[in-house]
Amino acid sequence: MQKETLNRLQKLNQLRLTDAEETNVLSFFAAREEEMNILNSIDTETVERMVHVMPIETVVREDKVIKSFTREQLQAGAPETTDGYWQVPRLVE
Amino acid sequence: MKYETVIGLEVHIEMATESKIFCSCSAKFGAEQNEHVCPACCGMPGMLPVVNRHVVDLGMNAGMMLNCHINRTTTFDKKSYYYPDLPSSYQTTQWFAPVAVNGTVTIETANGKKDIRIKQIHMEEDAGKLVHDDWTDTTLVDFNRTSVPLIEIVSQPDLSSAEEVVAYLERLRSLLRFAKVSECRMEQGSMRCDVNLSVRPEGSDKLGVRTEMKNMNSLSAIVRAIEYETARHIDALENGTEELVQETRRWDDIKGKSFAMRNKETAGDYRYFPDPNVMPVVIDDAWYDSIKASLPEFPEVKRARYIDAYGLSEYDADMLTQSRALCDCFEAAYAECKNAKEAANWLISDCMNILNKSQKTADQLTLDGKALGELILLVLDGKVGRGNAKKILIAMFDEKLDPAKYAEEQGFIVSNDTGAIEAIVKTVVAADPKSVADYKNGKEKALMALFGKCMRELKGNCDPQVLQKLLKDTIDSL
Ligand SMILES: [Zn+2]
Repeated sequence: MQKETLNRLQKLNQLRLTDAEETNVLSFFAAREEEMNILNSIDTETVERMVHVMPIETVVREDKVIKSFTREQLQAGAPETTDGYWQVPRLVE
Repeated sequence: MKYETVIGLEVHIEMATESKIFCSCSAKFGAEQNEHVCPACCGMPGMLPVVNRHVVDLGMNAGMMLNCHINRTTTFDKKSYYYPDLPSSYQTTQWFAPVAVNGTVTIETANGKKDIRIKQIHMEEDAGKLVHDDWTDTTLVDFNRTSVPLIEIVSQPDLSSAEEVVAYLERLRSLLRFAKVSECRMEQGSMRCDVNLSVRPEGSDKLGVRTEMKNMNSLSAIVRAIEYETARHIDALENGTEELVQETRRWDDIKGKSFAMRNKETAGDYRYFPDPNVMPVVIDDAWYDSIKASLPEFPEVKRARYIDAYGLSEYDADMLTQSRALCDCFEAAYAECKNAKEAANWLISDCMNILNKSQKTADQLTLDGKALGELILLVLDGKVGRGNAKKILIAMFDEKLDPAKYAEEQGFIVSNDTGAIEAIVKTVVAADPKSVADYKNGKEKALMALFGKCMRELKGNCDPQVLQKLLKDTIDSL
């Protein structure tokens, strides 16, 4: 992986890695990329797409409203709330 | 040089479900902030989403209304982006196997009919709402809308004018309201759209540089935005006023201008990948067939049937086919009373009046059509007067009731006792010699005044023709 790609990913994920971490991550991803290249070289043209690793499908529920936790319970661990809202630093748009 | 505009739309529509797409919180609009929230939809670690079956029903329904192919195995994927209105930092949507693909919608404009191709329809969750708090200079987050089910309808770039875009959106709205997928109310945000637009020399088969305007929620703003963007693109191509770049722009309807937005994310930045927590949904034949069987007639098919088979006027047929609820009520009422014109009149004038007074739309009509048919029969059979029938109708909007029983309880049944009617007529005539004299001198209006007095005495429970005859006979015999 290129340093530029890593920088872009850091930005998208709101992360800031140290130089040492960056070196680590880059060599880790380089190894994964090697593995991916091997997988990509296999001809899968005639193989049906695997939709999920588990043989479970169509887990659905009825369209019914069930009340669970109260707002106060859900916000108990929030750093800041006001008037029933979660409160976060101002967004610059 | 002559130019042509190429437009593709992405339309987001909130589905009419009770609960959210992946959890059991209410999906209804208008609650207090963060009252419709649970650990799943506010992104707590360890939460597991479970798909609402009715969302898949409605997704299929929309797909079938728009002539799409339904993917019988449909899967959900994660779209990652970091923003406070998205508590888990990813939106669960459909990227690899959306519920419906390859459809068409036929629109009609002054230039005739045109087919607009649908690329795909996918199901996804909505994001939360952010409010800026000036007082503390912070952002407040409300997760009530988070995970409310949406479908996104993606068209091919087949539209070429604002007029066609309006016709397309109105057609989508009409079809999806009929199929009860959504109320599609732009002013409430339950239908919003992204407009992708480019311009090229007429006849060219190469697409120009494309810009996207996001979150448009009024038809008039969409028309203005398309006109503005088209002119801006042509100006850039013709006069080199600016260099066009592929970007997302924000339409400011007050300034009448579009502005470039700063964040430029491409599909790759969203890092789509299959959501391992949501199992694939396999639509078996029984499920598929039950949705297929539940599809309504297209509005224009109904309209033609109302005119041909029921003999309604074009105006009446147009009015009724504005709304599925009106059509359903009309058909049930007709089945009961077998008088299409009466049923149409009661719905179009009296029922619409009652709805308008309580600021409701035709789609919000919940009146029992069979009961309306019974009420019409009571009037046609001369058992209840029209004035009293209107009072019964108002009561029927408030509660479910049996019109015949209610008429009896309220004393609204027309009396067939001509003796009693005659007695009242005689009293009224004797008490008003002036009107009698006026009538005898040729003033028709005077008779109406006497008629009204008798009707009031009889509380409306009298066949008007019987009363009129008795009244005339009584005066003539004086
Ligand atoms: Zn929830």
